[in-house]
Parts: sequence; C-alpha cells; structure tokens
Amino acid sequence: MAPLLEAISIGKTYPGGTVANDGVNLTIAAGEVHAVVGENGAGKSTLMKILFGIEQPDRGELRLDGKPVSFPTPRDAIDNGIGMVFQHFSLVPSFSVYENVVLGSEPRNGIKFDRQKAIEEVRALSEKFRLAVDPLPPVGQLPVGQQQRVEILKALYRNARILILDEPTAVLAPQEVEELFVAVRALVAQGRTVIFIAHKLPEVLAISDRITVMRAGKTVGSVNAKEVTEQSLATMMVGREIALRVDRAKGRGDLACEVKALKLTAESGAPIAEDLNLKVHQGEILGLVGVEGNGQAELLEAIAGLRAIADGVVYLNGDKLNPLSTLERRERGLASIPEDRIARGLATGATIAENLVATRLADKRYVRNGLLDLKAIKAQALKLIERYSIRAGGPGYPVGTLSGGNMQKVVVARELSEQPKLLLVNQPTRGVDLGATQFIWKSLTEARDGGAAVLLSSADLSELLALSDRLVVFYRGKIVAAFVNSDDLTAETLGTYMLGLSRQDPETMRAAFQ
Amino acid sequence: MSQNSPSRWAMIGRETGRALTAVVIALIVALVVILLTSADPGAAFQTLLTAPLSSNRTMGLWIDDVAKLTLTGLAFSLVFQARQFSMGVQGQVYMGGLFAALIAMSPIGATPMAIPVAMLAAMCAGAVYGFIPGYAKARFGASEIVSSLMLNYIAILIVNYLIRAHLAPQGTGQLATAKFPDTAIYPAILPGTRFDLGILVALVATFVVWFLLYRTNWGLKLRLVGHNPKFAEYSGIRSSFIMVSAMTVAGAFGGLLGSVFVQGRAFGNLAQNFDGNLAFEGILIAIVARSRPLAVPFVALAYGYLRQGAQLMGIRTDVPTEMISVVQAIIILLVASSFSLPGKKFFANLLGRKTTPAAAPEAAK
Repeated sequence: MAPLLEAISIGKTYPGGTVANDGVNLTIAAGEVHAVVGENGAGKSTLMKILFGIEQPDRGELRLDGKPVSFPTPRDAIDNGIGMVFQHFSLVPSFSVYENVVLGSEPRNGIKFDRQKAIEEVRALSEKFRLAVDPLPPVGQLPVGQQQRVEILKALYRNARILILDEPTAVLAPQEVEELFVAVRALVAQGRTVIFIAHKLPEVLAISDRITVMRAGKTVGSVNAKEVTEQSLATMMVGREIALRVDRAKGRGDLACEVKALKLTAESGAPIAEDLNLKVHQGEILGLVGVEGNGQAELLEAIAGLRAIADGVVYLNGDKLNPLSTLERRERGLASIPEDRIARGLATGATIAENLVATRLADKRYVRNGLLDLKAIKAQALKLIERYSIRAGGPGYPVGTLSGGNMQKVVVARELSEQPKLLLVNQPTRGVDLGATQFIWKSLTEARDGGAAVLLSSADLSELLALSDRLVVFYRGKIVAAFVNSDDLTAETLGTYMLGLSRQDPETMRAAFQ
Repeated sequence: MSQNSPSRWAMIGRETGRALTAVVIALIVALVVILLTSADPGAAFQTLLTAPLSSNRTMGLWIDDVAKLTLTGLAFSLVFQARQFSMGVQGQVYMGGLFAALIAMSPIGATPMAIPVAMLAAMCAGAVYGFIPGYAKARFGASEIVSSLMLNYIAILIVNYLIRAHLAPQGTGQLATAKFPDTAIYPAILPGTRFDLGILVALVATFVVWFLLYRTNWGLKLRLVGHNPKFAEYSGIRSSFIMVSAMTVAGAFGGLLGSVFVQGRAFGNLAQNFDGNLAFEGILIAIVARSRPLAVPFVALAYGYLRQGAQLMGIRTDVPTEMISVVQAIIILLVASSFSLPGKKFFANLLGRKTTPAAAPEAAK
C-alpha cells in the first residue's frame, strides 16, 4: 500500500539565498504519529509550510495516496484533508469557541448562519476526539491549552485527515501536555494521522510512532520511536555527541538581592503580582517556575527597571533599587537577558558592534567627551565574537542578519562579558538550537561561579531543573511553592503547583528559603 | 561602522540603482503625461531634461535649490533616524527666516557680524521650534506629526502677519521687507548668479550631521532609539531625552535653512510664503537617501536638477511646473515601497542566470 503522504527530495531556497530544504524526504503512513525533530533552522517549519501550501517547493514532489499533488495555497491543502495548527494561534479572541471553529465554513440555514447546528457539531467533534472544550465562551478567556484544542477542532471540522502540529507543547504545562497526548492518541485511534514538530525529545519519544530527524535542511533519517533513545536522537540531530548536563553551584555566598512585599500592577491598575518575597544569594541560580503570564516576567522587568513597582522594595547588596534608573541599576552590576531578543534585547537594524556596546555608553573605554572610540568598540566586538563564537561576517554586520542562536549569543555576550552581580534571565534558550543552548547554559553557570546572583525564568522546565539551585513556583502572581533543587524534584511535582492544583504551607516555603 | 560591513558598496550600488530606476520610471510616466497634454511634447521634455544646464544663471538656480534641498533633507534625516515623524521643518524655516531677518534689519545687519549672528539666531529659533513638538510628545504623549504640522501653519501665519503689519516698508503695500544691507546677504561665489554661500553652508551641515550621527555617543543613542525604542530603554538609554534632542537639533538645521532662504541671493529679504513648499520636499530627499546624511547632497543634486528643469519647463513651454509633482509622487512611491521590479525573475531566467546563490543553511528558519 502506498504511504498516505510522501515528500520526495524537496528543495526550497528562500529569496535571500537561504537554503531551507535540500533534498528532504518524508514518508507518512496512515494512522501514525510521526514526529519531525531537528535543531532550529534545520528546515522543519519550511517543510511543514510546503506540506500545507504556504510555501512552494523549488524542487521535488508531494504525493498523497501515491498520486502526485501540489498545493498552491493552504486552501488546496485543506481541501485535500491536511490541517495545521501553528505555534502562534490564529483565533479571534472575542469570538466564541464554536464561532472560531466554523469561521469560514459556517453551517447555513438558507442564508442565515445556523448557530445551533454549529454548536452541536463542535460539541460532537470535541466529544469524538476527546478534546474537551465548552463551545460557548469567548476564546480570549480560555487558557492556552484550551485555545490549542480549539485550533485542532478547527482543522478537524474541515475534515483534516492529516494534522500537522507545529511545536504544540512549547506553550503547555506538563499536565496539559499529557492531555494533549491523550487527544492525539484518540485522533490516531479514529484513523487520523498526526505530524508532530518538536524540540523536546522526551515528549517526542512518548508520543510518536516514527521519527524523522532533520539537520541543516536535509533529512538525516527516519527511525521507529521504540528503537531509539533520547541520547541517540540528540546525536542524530546535532551530528555529534552532546551532554546537556551542568554542574551545580559549589556553595553560595552572601545575600545579594532581596525582594520584599513586592506588588506589581498593570497599567489598567489590575494586579499582576502581589506580596512577592525572594532572596537570592551570590553564586546561586534561583529558578522562577510558572506557566507564562503568572508574574515571573513582570517581576524580572520590575527589577530591571522597565516596569513600575506599585509597592514593596527591591534591594541589591543592601541598596534600594526602586528609585534608580535602568542605567544606574546597570552600573551597580545588574545585567539582564530579556525574554524576547528581537523585541527587547537587540536593535536588529544596528550592527553587532553597536549592539554589543549599547549598554556601556557611559563607559570611558568606549566614549570620551561624547565621542565614540570606534577602534575600541570594534576591538571589543571582535573579542566578544571570538569568545562567544558568534557566527557572523564581522562586527559591522547588522544583527538582524544572524540566525536566532547567534542573535541570542550577542545578547549573552553583551550581558555577561563583564561579571554581573545580579543577572536576570528570561527564556535564555527559546528558539535556540542545542549547540547554542549548551553554550548559553555554560555561560550562565560561569557567571554564577563568578559570584552572580541569578534569577532565571523559563518555559522549559527541564532547563529550570538543570540549572537552578533553588526554585520558586508562581501561580496567579503569587509564589505558591519553593524548593531546593534535587534529583528527586520532577517536572510533574512542579506542574501541580504551576497549575494551582496545590500550594505549599508557609512553613515549608520558608524552609526552602533558608 | 565603516570596516567589515557587509558589502557596503553593494548596498550603495543597490540603493543607487533603485533610485535611478525609480527616476527613469517616473520620467517615462512624465513623458506620457507630456505627450498627452503638450502641443510640442518634444520641446517640453527636452526643456525638462536639459534646461538647468542652459546657462550660468540656470545652473545657479539649480545649485541654490540643491543647497536648500540638502538642508531640509538633513533635518528630516535626523528625525527619521530617531524614528520620529516630525514634519516641522517648514515651521522652523519660517521661524529661522524671521529671526535672521530681524538680525539683518537691526543695527548688527550693517556690520560684518551680520551673517554669522543671523545664522546663529535662525538656528536657535529653529531649535526652539523643533523642541516644542518633541517636548509635547515626551511630556504629554502628543503625536509629533500632528503638532509639528499645526506649528507649521502657526509659523507661516505669524511671519505673514508680522511682514504685513510691521516689517514691510510703511505705506508701500508690499508683502515683503525691504532688501537687507549687503553685509547681511550671502556673498555670491559666482558673481551674478545664485551660486552663493548657501551651498557651502549645506555641505558643512552635511558633514556635521554625519559626524553627530556616526561619531558621537548621542548619535549612536539616537540611532539605537530609532532602531528599537524598547531596546534603548532596556539598555539604559533615556529615549525621551534623545527623542526631544533629536527634534531640537533637527530644528536648528531647519532654522539654518530659513537663514539660507532669506539671506541668500535669491531673496535678500523676508517675503510672505517664501519657502514655496520646498521644505517639505526634504521628506523625499530623506526617504530616497534612506536618511543617510552623506547620501543627502547627492539625492538633492539629482532631484534639484529635475525640480529646476520642471520649473523652467513651466516658464518656457505649455506644460505646467506642477508636472514635477507627478514625478515626485512616483519616485516616493517606488523608493518608499522598496519596490522590486516585476519580471526580474523572468529576465534572470532569460539571461540564463540561476537564482540559487549558496548560503549558510543554518540561517534557515
């Protein structure tokens, strides 16, 4: 029997000259969960966009049920029974769940939109595929995990036989991931096929039947999930053995940063976080755990001076930070790796050298009498490019021309080239490939060993568990649990606190803070 | 940064090619319009293309325009680089012109100090006038586009009022002041033409703006704010200070243009509506020059030529000067939209060139 969907020696070169796919082969059998894994920039997303008709291949052929097909637009792919759920959802927040699902192919009663029928159909679909979601509330009020289900329902409503999920677990808490997997299994049990794009190898191994590995625009190979281990997959992905392990701190120093009874509010006055109390010592990494949007990011912004503090105090080495400007805080040894490198951490139109010096424009080494010392700036840039092995043409290239991992290295190089006293880190390796991740982790632990107090927030629990010495869990703007990191601490334990299913009593929390 | 930049020359070549293509397309459209409207299209089109070179006098007119276009282009480039869309150059020109005229007509006007003092006064007036919308934005969140446009009208009407009520010679009914003393008027470089000190002022200003933007701390901060204000804030750059100061400094150059207008050999006095809307054409100059100060004089040279050709065409033939607005609009449209020619791929295939440049696959996403 012919495989359900085949992509044969697909080639795709983007107008900028980037070769995204170069002879890619993918064979999907009916009724399987097929994972496509690879580092960032390996060409997974491009391949999926080709399968879904968003991009056109320059070379190669697509076959559906053994017959050659081409999808000039996503519409054609949908008509052929292919559905895709993107990492960033395309939902109308103010519309209800059922309206979002049927949008564009509404059931009609004459010329009228038949709402009752739509609601029934959505309800039936969600029961059939175990994607529990109430059809009536507006999508904007639902948590991320439910929004994702709405996206999947959208595809199923359009009779998708093949469902492409682009990094579906990136935004989910562990329990939600488990629920997603239940749904995926239900889909497969009812004869649908799922293509699953992912970064996180344990999840890939847990859910998929077959795995195709991509590297640098080519397919490295396809394997049965039962026959591989995490380590061997990682080796296939990067082409070399890597060890994603870091050394824990040897011991911590004096108290460096203390947050006392901190309250943060949104511009509208709505509370974001309340009664936050934290202590970070020199030479330790404190992990801030929580589903995104529970106050961790805002706490880091407030400490960095980018967000107003409604109430409470932040101390750094005994000094109050509240009245200081961003620059004054930086001069006292604060460094920060922001969540979104393109929106906040870099000026992508400016050169690498300019980006690297941007936080040191009060420094006599680079600026004297208001004039730039271009020689010193360039020398510094060359030094950092070398030391942080940033792959770039030279210091004069715009940062926007670099790949995601190298952009992040520019941020890390700028923030860590001088030993910080307090380091704020948010999503240090989001969208960064394994090689760069390893490098960034090493840089963070070096900063820690150099005596920095580190506050680390990440959506990736394995990252937090690998790096942190202690962890606190945020839920709805409050700290609900605190742990000393150990091998016994699991993502599942953290997950129950992240989702607000349980909460520690103050005594236990205080004990973890000692 | 000059060294190790990626293909700096390639970029200059690409941008120049794009601008030239835009000009050619615009001229073709202009030709069509002329063909449809003129009784003698050949003569009209020839006048448009060659008239500025026809005599020393017309060349003087051209260079005079180049100086003025350069200055307004620089003022716009400065605010555009900080990604502020202050449209206030016209108002600054009027305020600068007014203060230059006041100095020229005061006792200082008859001394050798007349020119430098008047220029300085014009720059200060322009700076103040540029500062207002900047401060209003930083302090009250007022859109600089709206406030600067409104301030333009205020400046024009104030100057017009002052001329009519106080500055014009009494009882003559003139809508201009009397000629300034010779000491207050820019000396001609080529006698008998408008080729005067103005072009030198413009070239010095070009260097100054380049130096400010690319060699000073302030300029780097300004460009970083322009690239990404959130990044600037995070880096500890006071972006509101940079924003206000960029608009103020740009205002000084706008004011300087006012002095070049009223003290140049073209006028030598302060007249109503003296700028002829030239100040706004700095937007086109800045857009085509991609806000790069060193490119501004070259763009001004080319555009000034077309502009002068159109004016002479309006005088000597039956095609109106306003024809140039068509050319201008098409150039802005093409350059601002970073157009790529349709059929480029077709031509490439025709020439047998494959569009498969090798590149690092890790840059793929």
